[in-house]
Amino acid sequence: MDLENQERVKSLAEKHGPENLVVILGGAEAEASGLTAETVTVGDPAYAGPLAGVSLGLPVFHIVEPEIKEQVDPEVYEEQIAMMEMVLEVDDICEEVKNYREQGSKYLG
Amino acid sequence: MNRAQSTSADQRSLKKLRVVHYLNQFFGQVGGEEKAGMGPEVREGVVGPGMAFAKQLGEAAEIVATVICGDNYFGEQVDEAGAEVLKLIQKYKPDLVIAGPAFNAGRYGVACGAVAQRVTEALDLPVITGMYPENPGVEIYRRFAYVIETGNSAAAMRTAVPAMAALVKKFAAGAAIGGPEEEGYIPRGIRKNFFHQERGARRAVGILTKKLKGEEFVTEYPMPNFDRVDIAEPLSKVEDATIALVTSGGIVPRGNPDRIESSSASKYGRYSLKGVEDLTAETHETAHGGYDPVYANDDPDRVLPVDVLRELEKEGAIGRLHPYYYSTVGNGTSVANAKKYASEIAAELVNEGVQAVILTST
Repeated sequence: MDLENQERVKSLAEKHGPENLVVILGGAEAEASGLTAETVTVGDPAYAGPLAGVSLGLPVFHIVEPEIKEQVDPEVYEEQIAMMEMVLEVDDICEEVKNYREQGSKYLG
Repeated sequence: MNRAQSTSADQRSLKKLRVVHYLNQFFGQVGGEEKAGMGPEVREGVVGPGMAFAKQLGEAAEIVATVICGDNYFGEQVDEAGAEVLKLIQKYKPDLVIAGPAFNAGRYGVACGAVAQRVTEALDLPVITGMYPENPGVEIYRRFAYVIETGNSAAAMRTAVPAMAALVKKFAAGAAIGGPEEEGYIPRGIRKNFFHQERGARRAVGILTKKLKGEEFVTEYPMPNFDRVDIAEPLSKVEDATIALVTSGGIVPRGNPDRIESSSASKYGRYSLKGVEDLTAETHETAHGGYDPVYANDDPDRVLPVDVLRELEKEGAIGRLHPYYYSTVGNGTSVANAKKYASEIAAELVNEGVQAVILTST
């Protein structure tokens, strides 16, 4: 996750409170999605950005995960996501993101 | 380890090792490419990956300061930047220096390596860094640091830091540092003598029988890894091409004006072929010390076939013979030197419009 985006997530969390935020990812690949999920939960694994050593513990999901998919208007999902969903390794992505969510998200009910 | 040694190790382990950490602008959290021109700066305590190190090192060692320098700043003036960084490091009187890890980042790897060289030479302190084996910093500077092998991107931070920290802790405990395989660092090209329980012949036969049986074995002398050069495209029209002669067979003008050595040549020569139709015992000879020179001195065309190429030139089979030839002695010449000569010679030939080279040996 690049430095600017880390800074954005960090300041949004400060402004609104981490308990009021959810991060939805759109990454096309499992490892990258996992790294982003790790960054917004336990902290930047590369220790390079503003989230190095900062555990925001934000709830994080990928857009293709059922929890999110079910909440989206099927027509909109069909139009915006379905195409990509066909070519992505959905299971791998879900597993990676879920792994970090369960490890590091602090504010899930 | 005997009792006396272990006692002194325990005493040393009481002391917390002082560590200075070197980072580039990116991991130093100053910024990306736009900040790569920044000069060296120092921060007290840990920055970025230093936080991860601190967690791993616990009571064994403390990062007392972090020196941060932009990759471009370092790369554009390696000597000056190295001296500046050394000065900053020195001020904190460290017992050990950590650099990086740099993964596969080339400029960063070279900077970490150059810092390691400075620290080793000026302060005689151990330096621990981490790089992907193909990082150019490994090849150039591995002698000066314990380079822990890492993955190729920052995603490998989570495995790189514990591996590097483990080695730092060994230093902190005053423990003996094992060989590359044992400790996970890239071989430094340093040989250490030790007494083996079994003599060499027995070990060699042991390896051979394992190999014959198809079992796994570990060589005691890994062969160097030479690169392979891709074969050039064929010439579309040899009859229009300018062809040059290059030899490692040592053919030089008589008297060897450049004093090219008969073995382990430290140079190569460039000699004119203008108006030369044929090499003779009166005009040329070989400087090579690795073969019987009688027949080469008798007719140097045997090694450097100028006569035949002149004939081909007249027949129109080739466009023309390049008016200069290059010569060195391949006898015992190191691969690194050969590579250097070849790239210089090739650059000149390309510059002078040569399309192909006939490379003759002995």
